Amino acid sequence: MKALYTLGFALLAAILVVVPLTSGNEYELRLFMLFLIYGVIAVGLNVLVGLTGLVSLGQAGLFALGAYTGAILAIRFNLDLVLASIGAAVVAGLFGAALAYPSVRVRGVYLAVVTIAFGLIVENVAIEWQSLTGGTTGLSGIPGPNLFGYPLSGYAFYAVLAVTLFLATLAAHNLKHSGYGRAMLAVAQSETAARSLGIGATGIRTLAFAVAAMTAGIAGSFYAFLNAYISPDIFTFSDSVRFLLMVILGGAASTFGPVVGAFILTYLPEVLQRFAEWQKFAYGALLLAVMFGLPGGILGTLGQLYARLRPGPRGVEPGQGMPAAELLASRKPAGLETHGLTVRFGGLTALSAASVRVAPGEIHALIGPNGAGKSTFVNTISGFYRPSKGGVHLDGTDLAGIKVHGIARLGLARTFQNTELFGQMTVLENVMVGGFAHHGYGLPGAILRTPRFRREEAACRAAATGLLDFVGLSAVANEQARFLPFGHQRRLEIARALATRPRLLLLDEPAAGLTTQEIDELEVMIRKIAGLGVSVLLIEHHVDLIMAVADTVTVLDYGQVIASDRPETVQADPRVIEAYFGGPSAILNEEAA
Amino acid sequence: MTTALQYTLSGLAIGGIYALVALGFHIMWSAAKAVNFAHGDTLMIGAVLAVMGIDAGLPPPLACLLAILAGALFGVVLERFAVRPFIGTNASIGWMLTTIAVGIMAESLATMQFGGFSRPLPSPGVAGAISILGAGVYPQELVIPAVALLAMAGLHAMQRHTLVGRAMQAVAHNRQAAALMGINVDRIVMFSFGLAALFGAGAGVLVAPVIQASASIGVLLGLKGFAVAIIGGITSGPGVVLAGLAFGVMEKFVEGYVSTAAREIVGFSAMILVLVAFPQGLFGRREIFKV
Repeated sequence: MKALYTLGFALLAAILVVVPLTSGNEYELRLFMLFLIYGVIAVGLNVLVGLTGLVSLGQAGLFALGAYTGAILAIRFNLDLVLASIGAAVVAGLFGAALAYPSVRVRGVYLAVVTIAFGLIVENVAIEWQSLTGGTTGLSGIPGPNLFGYPLSGYAFYAVLAVTLFLATLAAHNLKHSGYGRAMLAVAQSETAARSLGIGATGIRTLAFAVAAMTAGIAGSFYAFLNAYISPDIFTFSDSVRFLLMVILGGAASTFGPVVGAFILTYLPEVLQRFAEWQKFAYGALLLAVMFGLPGGILGTLGQLYARLRPGPRGVEPGQGMPAAELLASRKPAGLETHGLTVRFGGLTALSAASVRVAPGEIHALIGPNGAGKSTFVNTISGFYRPSKGGVHLDGTDLAGIKVHGIARLGLARTFQNTELFGQMTVLENVMVGGFAHHGYGLPGAILRTPRFRREEAACRAAATGLLDFVGLSAVANEQARFLPFGHQRRLEIARALATRPRLLLLDEPAAGLTTQEIDELEVMIRKIAGLGVSVLLIEHHVDLIMAVADTVTVLDYGQVIASDRPETVQADPRVIEAYFGGPSAILNEEAA
Repeated sequence: MTTALQYTLSGLAIGGIYALVALGFHIMWSAAKAVNFAHGDTLMIGAVLAVMGIDAGLPPPLACLLAILAGALFGVVLERFAVRPFIGTNASIGWMLTTIAVGIMAESLATMQFGGFSRPLPSPGVAGAISILGAGVYPQELVIPAVALLAMAGLHAMQRHTLVGRAMQAVAHNRQAAALMGINVDRIVMFSFGLAALFGAGAGVLVAPVIQASASIGVLLGLKGFAVAIIGGITSGPGVVLAGLAFGVMEKFVEGYVSTAAREIVGFSAMILVLVAFPQGLFGRREIFKV
């Protein structure tokens, strides 16, 4: 697969070099330059759509914002192509981030609406702010493209555009194959799980949108220089749809898909010109056809075909990677303490003044009948619910006000009662997502593939491989997670949680749905995890399992702690027996008498 | 004073349209946690078909009724073929794109059939303006907000007192539990999309006499309806109706005192500001997030 990418980039470079040499006239070259500009937008938009699973219908607005910024910087401040485009990228990126943050915080769907609205705002501001934008007549007299004061010839400008598209494609490719790309895919597939692994979902989504906005801004600036004239009616809603269609048609999340899509949709209107009035209809029909007939887009479908014809190895040899013990060395197990933890949902008190103390390094079991408040307890200490009263301390750090991903970064990892895997990622990738919080290379490092990036990525892969070995899933490392049988999914969740290098691991009903044999294996695994220096908080129904592994058992009933002691003591506690089996029954008493 | 009253009254009229559209978004979101992004085009279909029906010689009331029913049918069909296949997948991208695609196709078909120009729908409601304290309004403009309030009350009564209404609430609350109680969830979702489309197409027929019908009226009205749903809180029926009326009035004031372009800038900026300050909308409830 790696060789294919290299081949693809070589092919792209070859095409970009050959086309200007063979193009017959200026019109042909100009059209191709328009394709390069659209390609840049599509490649950026793909980061948002393909990786993060969000939709923007306002790329035309950001494109316009970039075009106006670039044009104004060039006309008023005499900036050259590069500086004006950087200015355009910064302005578009800032607006993009400011736009995305409030919308993606609530619902991904809102982003589509907010971006459409933003497109309209830009259009109307361009009309209204006549002194700056020239109003409806637009801005003319944009100077020809120049670099450091030297005017660029048509071919030199072409070279700038071609290099930009090539680099943008390469940067997006590198981003996808880094911790950031995995985090974006993870957020799209299970926000809950991503947050519990230390990934700030809102931040990652905002980042993706800012990337898409910046590329649209750069493309807009280039467009202004190419056209030498811009006006508000050049940037319409149907352009936004066309940009989105480029990504979907070419293949969302694929490296070259957006470029292919941009190419097709730049030249298709030329072909469809005689069907003038059907053109818009054709866009709609094409989008619909792709959604139903070719959900992966052109390159996505080709990629699937390739994977089916030449499947790679299913797994990796066991015994490889960094041993889990080595990965988890040099950390100390954490203790957890809750004081009077109370959680109310409306009138219902799910947890009432629960004080629980998990000692560092122990296996602590939390049990209780259905509805006792176990799940509420887990979700509150991991930050998904806010306590109404009381607080949680992890090794003395007050967790009040810290978000889910912040708590995860402090060393609390968890699994879920209903498994929350990233279904369309491979087993190995699932585990690698867990290493996100430990990447120190930063965004520039990921895009430039710095030596530090390569080193840390290799370490992350080795750690993930080692953890798969630890839970016994090496043989299926390259399978997609959704195809795993249930028992394996549970183990994968544990491996993924361990990849965050936790100091305390929360297992939320890990034995639910497992066979007896699997439960025995789980028992061994829990002991091994504790042996690695990770405190374990186990929420479970299986009394046998608890009695076998737990150092301390806490019993919840009706939201209150009714017992907390060594397993055998708790087992004999009359209040616990009552909670599980009911009070002394009249019939039993009679029989006894 | 008269100017202010004038703006308020015409604002309530257009606000009533936003309210009806937003109510549709509320109904769809409650049922399916998905919406029809071509909802604005449902409104367009109502308006355009009513005009075309009258062209074809149908009596106006019948033409309007048929147009509204056609709009509702559009909603039902769209749900079945464009939304349902993608419901329940993690990302909302699927149904978003398919409904947008259908919306684009509907709009361009309408442009070809109807022509690219605007035409008024004849209505007794715009025969003559009446004067209220010096402000001139058409009776039609007074009817629109009243219909919006009636629709809100009707929806509320239906949710309270009818089986299908209670089933809608059950589905909104918990899809799986509703299905286990023997509710045909698919049918309820389909019904909800039909009802939403009914409101949308009705809004189209109501507004066509005032602002003229054209193939392109759907996009902006639909978008503003969604903006209103975000502002009012998409989980609250009364919330979106109130927000719709208020949004309409605010628009008229900005348009009157500043300009049309400023109207769009202020309106959509208001939406973004509300999102920052009240992520769930002004009247929306926070959806309890279950892990």
